[in-house]
Amino acid sequence: MSTGNPNSGKQHTVPPRTDTFDCVRCGLTVTTVDPAGGRRNHCPSCLHSRHVLDRVEGGPSECMARMSPISIAVLRSGDWMIVHRCIRCDELTSNTIAPDDNQLILIRMAVRPLAQPPFPLEVFGEW
Amino acid sequence: MARRKPAGRRPQRYKDVTHGRTGRGDAFRCVGCRLDVPLLAPGTAHRNHCPHCLTSLHLDRRVPGDRAADCRGRMSVLSMSVRADGEWQLIHQCQSCGALGANRIAGDDNPLALIRLAMRPLTDPTRPIRALLTL
Repeated sequence: MSTGNPNSGKQHTVPPRTDTFDCVRCGLTVTTVDPAGGRRNHCPSCLHSRHVLDRVEGGPSECMARMSPISIAVLRSGDWMIVHRCIRCDELTSNTIAPDDNQLILIRMAVRPLAQPPFPLEVFGEW
Repeated sequence: MARRKPAGRRPQRYKDVTHGRTGRGDAFRCVGCRLDVPLLAPGTAHRNHCPHCLTSLHLDRRVPGDRAADCRGRMSVLSMSVRADGEWQLIHQCQSCGALGANRIAGDDNPLALIRLAMRPLTDPTRPIRALLTL
């Protein structure tokens, strides 16, 4: 239980490479395997996901609601994670990003805090 | 630019935590930097992280203030998120069980730590940020 990424210890059955799912938001048909060979859980176009795993209790969740991306996390290893929030029960999950994820939405989420800062940013220009 | 509280927002949830059992009724000690942090914070009624190093402790499970988590692990700050109304939120991740939590920033949080956290994706040298910003 001491590993940083709780998803790493989970044993998924390897799906066939032709498996697809439909995005709950934009309806895009997405393959479950990304170009790097990893398993993906969010739409590469709109980055939305579906709440199927319960992280607090463990095991599957019966919520099945849409999860919207709320922020980008950069790990110490340099990997980017995307943090999702369920729009129905407000649970948070984090997932690694796939190589073909929409870079425009990723960057838009990354610069979003700086658009409305809670304090003036001019003083940081001197540092 | 002062942050103004927009009208018509949901009021903050009432927090009925018995802090008296730990002996210190009005403060907690940060697990990251051992700073004594008063519970009263400007701008929020749910302070759960140290204003200096932004580290928190894994105490609550689903509802803020329920103290139902038996993990008690250290929650280090993972990323910065923004609400729809422009409020900044910290995303914490527990170092022992990997759970995630969100908490609004307080008025006395260290601005340099907040800015460094918000700038973390943009200063990543492995990505062509400058080219992507011109999109």
